[in-house]
Amino acid sequence: MKTCKEFCDNLSDYLDGEMSSDECRLIEDHLAMCPPCALMYECLKTTVSICEKGVSEDMPEDVKERLKVFLRTHCKSDRLKFREE
Amino acid sequence: MGYTNLFVAVCISVMRKGTVEDQAAIDQVLSGDYDAFEKLVEKYQGRVYRHLRKMVKDGQQAEDLLQETFLSAYKGLESFSGSSSFSTWLFRIATNSALMFLRKKRPESVEYNDEIGGGGNHDMMMHSSEFIRTPLEVLLSREGREKIEEAIEGLPVLYRTTIVLRDVEGFSLKEVADIMDTSVAAVKSRLHRARNSVRGTLSSYYTERDVDAN
Ligand SMILES: [Zn+2]
Repeated sequence: MKTCKEFCDNLSDYLDGEMSSDECRLIEDHLAMCPPCALMYECLKTTVSICEKGVSEDMPEDVKERLKVFLRTHCKSDRLKFREE
Repeated sequence: MGYTNLFVAVCISVMRKGTVEDQAAIDQVLSGDYDAFEKLVEKYQGRVYRHLRKMVKDGQQAEDLLQETFLSAYKGLESFSGSSSFSTWLFRIATNSALMFLRKKRPESVEYNDEIGGGGNHDMMMHSSEFIRTPLEVLLSREGREKIEEAIEGLPVLYRTTIVLRDVEGFSLKEVADIMDTSVAAVKSRLHRARNSVRGTLSSYYTERDVDAN
């Protein structure tokens, strides 16, 4: 019989769909009868879903501009090489 | 076909379309079309910059590494074989550059900082219910986002890199392993700990916030 700790150790893999169907059934049965583990699972699921939406992709305009200028300057020599082929 | 299967099929076809588009752009670049390269840069710069910001934290260093990453990508484009997607290849260059930079600057931050707790015990139970009762608009408010970023930034570099690549960037476990040059088992283990650590940090925060509000 698995302990709660062992079930919790598998929740991340379970979320990623990395468990076999037998293992999934065991986890689902346990979650249905163990409120603390079910709560743990809900929290983990919430964490994963807000990580995706919560980390912004804001890139300052001046960083974009400097990248463009930097690349135009430094890629020049290689540009000619590509073209000659 | 069920809705889930249909959804998966649509996602896969969108991904393939992205890969095909990237390959077409790469062919154009290799035939001398620099504008095609600038389009690739525009497409990925935001994500790569975000990733580097999370890895090295310092804005100026992240910017230097961003420039280095795209320059290396340009110079090495001929060696891109297409066996992985362009985005995986690009993130691999960025991740390697950042790890090399961190190893040089503070070796201990990479080599000896690879263990965190976060096994997932019931001791966080008291905290957790407030966290999941908090509405999504609060979790994703300006303040909420700051907390998520703080929780991720508090992790050792290999853990925060893993969680960012998987849960923020949406790479598969296999792709994360390729990008970080490690095994899928190592990715799973780091992800498990990183997610639990972030969960613990956020749970505590929302519990305290709830106590303060009452
Ligand atoms: Zn349990």
